[in-house]
Amino acid sequence: MKRFGFAMVTAAVALSLTGCVSSGKSTSAASSSSASGASSSAPAAAGASSAPAAAGASSAPAAAGSSTAAVASTGSHQTVTIWSWFTKSTMQKAIDQYQTAHPGVKVEYSYYNYDPEFLTALKTAAANGTLPDIIGLQPGSLTQQYRTNLTPLNSLAAKQWGANWTDSVYPVNLRQMQMGNPAGDKNYYILPQESQVLAIWYNTQIFAKLGISVPTTLTELVADAKKIKSAGYIPMYQGAAGAWQNENVFLMIANQLKSGITDDAQNGTTPWTDPSLVSAMNVWKSLFSDGVFQSGALGDQAYPTGAQLFAAGKVGMMALGSWWLQEAELTPPIPSLVQDLQGFNYFQFPAVSSTTQPGAVVGGIDVGLGLTKNGANNPNAFDFMASLVKGDAGNAALSDVNDLPAFSGVTLPSTVGSNVKTLYAKFNAQLPTADNQRFGSPVVQQALDDALSGVAAGQETATAALAKVETAQQSAG
Amino acid sequence: MAVVPAPVARPLHPRRSVGPMTIDTLLRRSRRRYIYLVPAIAFFGLFVAWPVVSVIQASLGIRDQGMSGGFLANFSHVLHDPIFWTATRNMIYWAVITVIVQLAVGYTLAYLIETYAARSTAILRTAFLVPLVTSASVIAIVWSQIYSPDYGPLQHALSDVGINLSISLLGSPHTAIFAIIGINIWEFTGFSMLMYIVGLNRIPSELTEAAKVDGATGIRLIRSVLVPLLAPITKSLVLLGIIGALQTFPLVYLTTSGGPDHASEIYGTQIFRTGFILNENGYASALAVLTLLIALCATAVQVGVFGTRLTVGGHS
Repeated sequence: MKRFGFAMVTAAVALSLTGCVSSGKSTSAASSSSASGASSSAPAAAGASSAPAAAGASSAPAAAGSSTAAVASTGSHQTVTIWSWFTKSTMQKAIDQYQTAHPGVKVEYSYYNYDPEFLTALKTAAANGTLPDIIGLQPGSLTQQYRTNLTPLNSLAAKQWGANWTDSVYPVNLRQMQMGNPAGDKNYYILPQESQVLAIWYNTQIFAKLGISVPTTLTELVADAKKIKSAGYIPMYQGAAGAWQNENVFLMIANQLKSGITDDAQNGTTPWTDPSLVSAMNVWKSLFSDGVFQSGALGDQAYPTGAQLFAAGKVGMMALGSWWLQEAELTPPIPSLVQDLQGFNYFQFPAVSSTTQPGAVVGGIDVGLGLTKNGANNPNAFDFMASLVKGDAGNAALSDVNDLPAFSGVTLPSTVGSNVKTLYAKFNAQLPTADNQRFGSPVVQQALDDALSGVAAGQETATAALAKVETAQQSAG
Repeated sequence: MAVVPAPVARPLHPRRSVGPMTIDTLLRRSRRRYIYLVPAIAFFGLFVAWPVVSVIQASLGIRDQGMSGGFLANFSHVLHDPIFWTATRNMIYWAVITVIVQLAVGYTLAYLIETYAARSTAILRTAFLVPLVTSASVIAIVWSQIYSPDYGPLQHALSDVGINLSISLLGSPHTAIFAIIGINIWEFTGFSMLMYIVGLNRIPSELTEAAKVDGATGIRLIRSVLVPLLAPITKSLVLLGIIGALQTFPLVYLTTSGGPDHASEIYGTQIFRTGFILNENGYASALAVLTLLIALCATAVQVGVFGTRLTVGGHS
């Protein structure tokens, strides 16, 4: 028995190592509903408990089942599957509207936490061809990572909204929609679902109580931070353990010094070691050393801790964005500070040099959607997607003010408070001139993240750190 | 008086006790017993063995069209990456510190609870096991707040006794990994305690009584009688501790994500980042295979040095 068993195992290992066994590149897809059920539990287990090695780089065998093409062909009951990290309750409003308006169509939404659950789910599903019809995407590197699984949307969008549909898309969004596309590829693989503008939000009550006015220069910002800290509040909460907030602050400073410089560095026109970028990195460092950020920021996370402290009135300022508006529409009970966002306002990053103005306005697509190759076979999939980004389904969810709209010409319903409406209009007015917030290459983005935390921790000088980013930029091509 | 012997029960299928195993013999023998193994083997094959083989294939670049540099290119890439060596250093710290501290504290708790708190064992055992069953996300969030210098209770408590930390334990590159190790010890010491409680309860009371009659009490009893008898448990915990250290992921990912600037990087976070975010499948697979090899070596060394007797009172 032992010898027999050993022989079997050796044979199996030998066969598979020579690559003769057909791998998980098979595209036998499970039917969409069982795929979303099965896939949502497996990545959760892989992400939460054991090492990612088992879930790893390659596929798990696909479950057998009917292909998704069968869903589109017959029957009045159609299912559209969508995966995203978009707020579940807000998405449900859009889904409810769509299902009421299209009886017989069922939309199944699987919500995932973005990092690591959604990223894990996408990768494992993509590897064995079980992606749902629609997936949430961010422009740039995430879209590019899954580009080969996505359907180009140009003709579908033109058919839906007319040939001039891009006219109502904000310019920064339009640029981000093709970000990272190979040379000559003019396809749009992502449609924006929502836009955002970055800003420094502040607690107006703390400012009024301490007699502080909105800082317009870096010196004023440092002085205000000191006052806020001595009064027992956190001056500016930075979740520097997470990379995104660090990137956002850096982008605001860098684009203030020279508008579009981070785009130029990303497409190779300017090196990452450009003096303006080195200055920006030094300003970034000073936010830590001058006490603008709380001590130990490198060990803190913006969500949930930072956001909770900010909403509870313990924090003076926080570098967030237009999505903070949604706090006013959360399910009660909510703190009085947050009702109609009456305790909050925002300003652009103060001028960091004598020759610059406060800014920059940085933003673009907050969350987008892509139609997978599976979804292209389901006519209801694009229909739902279109309705969500620029249609009745999306409009039904506007009362949550989750973020700014992706297309121009949207007005908030009357249920939204007046202060929120004012702030919303202010942000929308800034969106047309926003600088790009996104990265095309994950390698460059990772290198910049390392540079930002290395410099903040005092491990590296700005120049040395940015030189490494430039090396990564060169290797990414 | 004649004694009638009881009827002898005969087996329905007489065993063949000689002859080599051939396919014929296997098929002719009672197949039922092997069929019961099939579900477990199938599950293992499908969800453990096949993915491992698949990852090994990916690490060797077998299915990669654009691979250059031969089969070991990915491994070379990993071994030349300074982040890998930072992660290795962190893994060594993790394994050594967590195993030793968890053993010592777990044993102390088990001994004290079982010896001196006979009436409240249930409550105390539950209390120390609660961290073990708490979600990793919750632990990460709460401990990040505890460690925060500005608003966290740790600094608050320390300043009450006059200590003011000049750095943030979780946010400083030099101390981040140790801060997370501290969280891990808090989370898993209950498990060591539980294993030792089981072990202590399995020691025959005659042994301890005999030792006490001979004059061994307190530390002497622990050192010369209990610890040697509990050696199998200790060996299991060391083995599990090392493998657990190599597998750890959620706690580090949710607190520092391996930062700042890779200072608290471990194998799990590096595999995840390179595999799922940077899309470097070859690198991630190679690192996963290396982790597996390290785990196998550690296990082999331990089994070789300490033997395989892993239960109290069992046979070697």
